[in-house]
Amino acid sequence: MKIRAFIISISIICGLSSCVDTEERPNTPSGNFEALWEIIDQHYCFFQYKDIDWNAIYNKYRVRVSDQMTTIQLFEVCCDMLSELRDGHVNLSTSMDYGRYWAWQETYPKNYSDSLQRRYLDTDYMIASGLEYRVLDDNIGYVRCQSFSSAIGEGNLDDVMAYLALCRGLIIDIRNNGGGDLTTAERFAGRFVSEKTLVGYIQHKNGVGHSDFSELEPQYLEPSSNMRWHKGVCVLTNRSVYSAANAFAVWMHTLPNVTIVGDHTGGGSGLPMSNSLPNGWAVRYSACPMYDKNKNQTEFGIDPDIRCDIGNSLTYDAIIETARRHLTE
Amino acid sequence: MMQSNFLRHGFTRIFFVPCLAIALSAHAQKEVTNSQMIGFGPTKVLDTYLSAEHFSGVGLTYLSHTERRKIKNPSKSVPSKITTVLQHEANLSSVKDRADNKSELEGAYNFYWGKLYGWHLLSDRLTLQVGGMLNGTLGFIYNTSNGNNPAQARAALNIMPTGVVTYRFQLGRLPLTARYELALPLCGIRFSPNYGQSYYEIFSRGNYDHNAVPTTFISAPEWRQLFTIDAHLSKRFTLRLGYLGNMQQHHVNDIRQHVYTHRIILGITKTFSVTRL
Repeated sequence: MKIRAFIISISIICGLSSCVDTEERPNTPSGNFEALWEIIDQHYCFFQYKDIDWNAIYNKYRVRVSDQMTTIQLFEVCCDMLSELRDGHVNLSTSMDYGRYWAWQETYPKNYSDSLQRRYLDTDYMIASGLEYRVLDDNIGYVRCQSFSSAIGEGNLDDVMAYLALCRGLIIDIRNNGGGDLTTAERFAGRFVSEKTLVGYIQHKNGVGHSDFSELEPQYLEPSSNMRWHKGVCVLTNRSVYSAANAFAVWMHTLPNVTIVGDHTGGGSGLPMSNSLPNGWAVRYSACPMYDKNKNQTEFGIDPDIRCDIGNSLTYDAIIETARRHLTE
Repeated sequence: MMQSNFLRHGFTRIFFVPCLAIALSAHAQKEVTNSQMIGFGPTKVLDTYLSAEHFSGVGLTYLSHTERRKIKNPSKSVPSKITTVLQHEANLSSVKDRADNKSELEGAYNFYWGKLYGWHLLSDRLTLQVGGMLNGTLGFIYNTSNGNNPAQARAALNIMPTGVVTYRFQLGRLPLTARYELALPLCGIRFSPNYGQSYYEIFSRGNYDHNAVPTTFISAPEWRQLFTIDAHLSKRFTLRLGYLGNMQQHHVNDIRQHVYTHRIILGITKTFSVTRL
């Protein structure tokens, strides 16, 4: 009797159990196009904010796809479709090319000159991991942060803070910083708060629908337990400040002793994730939107407190000079 | 002298022999069968959090399989009908997508502990056992290409109804034991990020969102089968050859994941008794 009950139970469980699987798209131009469209459809996070009709975009580009087209032609159609999202975090990565939308920086003045920046740093500047720094003539500390991809540890920040401790103000130049590790940006920003500070919100998709989102979760900056900076700070920005660097600018913008100087930032507030197509191409897309402390989107960047351009001088960076003036006033 | 011998031997007989007998009758004797096995075979991986693509490749598995049974009456070697099963399974696989362009590395440790109730039939040649096992899983799937979603952590606890059929027979003069073990899903709990949730939110910000998910045999239809043939080559040496199929899968938080491992396994089996005073 027990054996019979056991066999019946097994049969019921086997009957109800099935394989957890997904439909595999064929590795053809049509299959790859469909896979790409579906990945974006189910995962991309800014459809509503940007008022994008993704079904209409499917109809617009699907007619350009045929199974007789070449790989290069398919890549072109896919990139054209993705550019409708107007998102620098959306990329199609292949062995032959890198599909991208960089209009947010390429169609604006650069407001950054590597040659000019070298004149300010000179040759005897110091390097602490991803930070290049020195004291300028008017006793203003200057820190160049090219990227948040390089690991910047607490030890590096301690050394930089200690070296610049006697300066009367600090310039953090994040122009051209295309982002990197958010936790590195957080670690750096934590040197400029003395108490737990609300700096923004983050959420994520919790379903495949375009409006399926979790609750907004607050983002706090925790003060570093090591050396912190309490004097004035200017953060220099341009249109190429993107992703984690944009988040850094947004967070610093909320702090009372920090002034953003330069150009509008590039944006890129959607934390990107990756996926892949049947032909092996990698696709990247914005997945988790981040907001400022007033719950405003920062996908298209933020305005500086003091807007200025770099100017035409070959010896004088107007953005750095504006920041120096502001800190010494 | 006579008095001295009486004191020496009589005292021993009167006091120590009964004590020893009482102690022996109170012995907890167990029969333990332990197998150490290595397996090799194909692996299939799908995790839609990492990629919509299916990945396949090969992997290695180590399996330690132990069965313990109490001996009710040590003098007659009558075993208890209850068997305790303990298994440690560790596997590592390297898999690729169909375009041979992206790679994933999958690794997991599975722990199984269970109790089985047995019936001995056909003059003890056939044994049927039913019961349940508790399964704990810790593992990962690492996608070598992805940026902010490079890996998926795997952690789960499952209760699995289990059945075992064991048949003893001879091939010529070689005694053999065929054993089939099937564990089916019932319910459990597992870790999973929410659909589009990043690990940055979970671990750096501490934002939890349905990350501990109760599962059933519908949302996590995991099952596992182990078929082995033991060749008792000598009294001390038993060779074990078999197949291990572990179908771990779930569909929670709109994320689909499966890790199917099929292994041809080879190992040695030892049976011994443990006596506890």
